[in-house]
Amino acid sequence: MAAWARAVRGVLLDISGVLYDSGGDGGGAPIAGSAEAVRRIKASGLKLQFCTNETQATREKFVKKLQGLGFDISVPEVTAPAPAACRILKERGLRPHLLVHNDLVPEFAELDKANPNCVVIGDAAENFTYANLNEAFRVLIGMEKPVLIALGRGRYYKETDGLKLDVGAYMKALEYACDVEAEVVGKPAKPFFESALAAMGVPPQQAIMIGDDIVNDVGGAQQCGMRAVQVRTGKYSIQKKEGAVCFILKKCRDSATKAVEEMKSSSFQGGCPGSNSPLHLALRSWIKVGQFLLGLQRQEAELQHGADRRCKSFSSQSSPPGLLAFQPWGLLSSALLL
Amino acid sequence: MAARPALKAVLVDLNGTLHIEDSAVPGAQEALKRLRSAPVTIRFVTNTTKECKRELLERLTKLGFDIAENEIFTSLTAARNLLEQKQVRPLLLVDDKALPDFTGIATNDPNAVVIGLAPEHFHYEMMNKAFRLILDGAPLIAIHKARYFKKKDGLALGPGPFVTGLEYATDTKATVVGKPEKTFFLEALRGTDCTPEDAVMIGDDCRDDVGGAQKAGMRGILVRTGKYRPADEDKINPAPYLTCENFPEAVEHILERLL
Repeated sequence: MAAWARAVRGVLLDISGVLYDSGGDGGGAPIAGSAEAVRRIKASGLKLQFCTNETQATREKFVKKLQGLGFDISVPEVTAPAPAACRILKERGLRPHLLVHNDLVPEFAELDKANPNCVVIGDAAENFTYANLNEAFRVLIGMEKPVLIALGRGRYYKETDGLKLDVGAYMKALEYACDVEAEVVGKPAKPFFESALAAMGVPPQQAIMIGDDIVNDVGGAQQCGMRAVQVRTGKYSIQKKEGAVCFILKKCRDSATKAVEEMKSSSFQGGCPGSNSPLHLALRSWIKVGQFLLGLQRQEAELQHGADRRCKSFSSQSSPPGLLAFQPWGLLSSALLL
Repeated sequence: MAARPALKAVLVDLNGTLHIEDSAVPGAQEALKRLRSAPVTIRFVTNTTKECKRELLERLTKLGFDIAENEIFTSLTAARNLLEQKQVRPLLLVDDKALPDFTGIATNDPNAVVIGLAPEHFHYEMMNKAFRLILDGAPLIAIHKARYFKKKDGLALGPGPFVTGLEYATDTKATVVGKPEKTFFLEALRGTDCTPEDAVMIGDDCRDDVGGAQKAGMRGILVRTGKYRPADEDKINPAPYLTCENFPEAVEHILERLL
């Protein structure tokens, strides 16, 4: 196993698209194996913090839903944008006009909202009506220096009944209308990842982020100096159509044969656990995991190039970590825990 | 200018140039008649997201202008032409009043998205629908990208923000079809046998009318009516070919100097 993988002490987990797909009558459907994987990470002694841009509900309500879906999760383990935004608003004496989901409003209960001097936009879902957007627009355009705070800048996410526009699209709409730039609280903002790491007490070099969003999860975490892994669930299937991931996977395939050769060679077997171990089986059945461990260094240049095409924010990363797309959840946790 | 060939086509903006809201610019009807006596093709070009050609025509006729429907070219016409050219079936997020300009265009099982000014369509469900189509490869066509417009009770969001949001979510660029896009002016000349070098554009919007036309290779004449504000002519570089008081004066210049 790569040296850095042994040094991993903490895991940041995205929730939507990684642990479950939201939407539908029951509030969502767990992704197979994910509840078990969370339990295994916890049992292993690794620190774990959930790092989500979820803003459709208070943390309390959100955690309750996930518990109902079988996840071992509690409120303090969740880093979410709304509480972070509340801290910022208080610090700066800002009175928000809220364009958020009804269920998120209680998070802002303590704040004075009369005569607003900023707009806070979250994933408001059905509240994204023309009238509501117009109201937020009028608040902003009426200010001498408009302040727009966005809870995340995600482009879209997957629910059980299909893809939905995320807060980022509406944030961009208001940015364009008022000629302002929003301040983003949530992934991929660096302070947000840092607060999640602080909650675990783990430095970025010893943490790994797991998510389905190449920009907000993977890119954001890498900007922070963490390693990041992209899973092939959630929005992955859509993002892969979009160029960068396609490019990376193509490059992966090009060197996959090499990886297999190396796996067969003594250099790998020397560090290989018993032949019946989950990792060993995973490596045999699924080439990417092998490459993940063996071809990490080799990939970095390619990764950097591919990611640059998609997300400029990757470009300043001084030590690009490995990015790979993982399919079955269990394989990843196995790889980490061994 | 000496190298220019004789003028063959004149493009004329409507609101602000021929008329202002519901009154004609004084002398504009007469001037148009005089222009018609010259050997030039005339097209009336306008950015509209609401009014179909028929409505525009009715208004102009009522104001005493002698105009035929096929002489009118709007941003809606440009969108329609683009749809026909690409042979796609649009999800039409435009005002109901604009729909007659899309008569005959198949809209079942859409594989393109057209966005005009249609607040009633800009809601979560419809935006998601448009988003999914674009993500699946449907072209995004914007009538224009105005940020906001003025309503009686204050400012209101235009189509631009919604187009921009969809562009961001899907990582694509919309094709904008109205003025000041170069393709708008070129499309307006289609079927006239004229090249941009043979044409002049008359309008009251320095950037969208004059600047856009000049970028497309035409000459541009700015009139000091409608939305014109002093020093507007300094807003573009190169400056307008000519700035004059109003449409009648522009016609006089054309008849005396450009033919």
